[in-house]
Amino acid sequence: MIGIVILGSFIAIIIVAFASIVEKRLADSIVLSMGVGLGSVVLFFIFQAPDVALTEAVIGAGISSVIFLMALKHLKASR
Amino acid sequence: MNLKRDVAVQTYSGLGLSALLAITILNIMLHNMPQSVKRAGEKLLEINSQDGVANAVTTVVVYFRGFDTLGEIAVLFIASLGIGLVLSSHSEHHHKVESSFILKTASKLLFPIIILFGIYVMVYGHLSPGGGFQGGVIVASAFLLLLISHQDFELSHSVISAFETLAGVSYVIIGLMGLWILDNFLGNFIPHDISQMGMLVSGGIIPLIYIIVGIKVGSEMSMIVQNLLKRSDNE
Repeated sequence: MIGIVILGSFIAIIIVAFASIVEKRLADSIVLSMGVGLGSVVLFFIFQAPDVALTEAVIGAGISSVIFLMALKHLKASR
Repeated sequence: MNLKRDVAVQTYSGLGLSALLAITILNIMLHNMPQSVKRAGEKLLEINSQDGVANAVTTVVVYFRGFDTLGEIAVLFIASLGIGLVLSSHSEHHHKVESSFILKTASKLLFPIIILFGIYVMVYGHLSPGGGFQGGVIVASAFLLLLISHQDFELSHSVISAFETLAGVSYVIIGLMGLWILDNFLGNFIPHDISQMGMLVSGGIIPLIYIIVGIKVGSEMSMIVQNLLKRSDNE
């Protein structure tokens, strides 16, 4: 059971990461890169690193993508 | 811009680098790992048992790598400073978009809960997963919610800088007091009994340091978020 979850999140991370590279619209690409963080949160938690999982959830999937989105807004405004 | 070729090049180089990394790690694991490197983690855990802190990760981050944490906070401070410098002018023609009723009501409901959770993660960093850095960012995300939903809301610059300065100065003072009393930076000079392990007040200076880190990170991240939301580029 746990092996299926690990394998599933590995595959999901790879798919989402690839999708975020090939995505044309930057906003969608940022949201997809949030998915990479989410998958790694599951992996960290399964591999018994709850501290790292919390950090990844808060910083990697949360605030950093918000900052990316706001930077994108500034980029569009300056054009 | 040839996107397809770029993606192919990046994928192949990424695969090559991962293969190299895997070969190196296997090589280290199988053959020539020094005995001292193999035992580094065990030694840290041994010392941790004398420290009276339930969460071993906290001991490593704050106590053995406390100087690195100070450096991390300095890096965050410089990032905050850079964003403040780049986005220096207040936007006059900031077209105000009234946020939706649902967002406003939900933010009023969620703001105190998120703040409480952030402070919990900060204060209980030495007992459960989490700590100052994470707690500070959670507090900052609560302020982000409030900044998005209420257009007129703005954090007071002087209050935030007072919090940040106080936290930074007290971190260094606690570190130097450890140097003065116990001859090493961030020495645990407050009495920490092993029998207190698992209590809220335990582990000497470690929870204190985590609360200070949380205040500093929270104020810096809130300032970054506010600068990015409320200011525009000066062209």
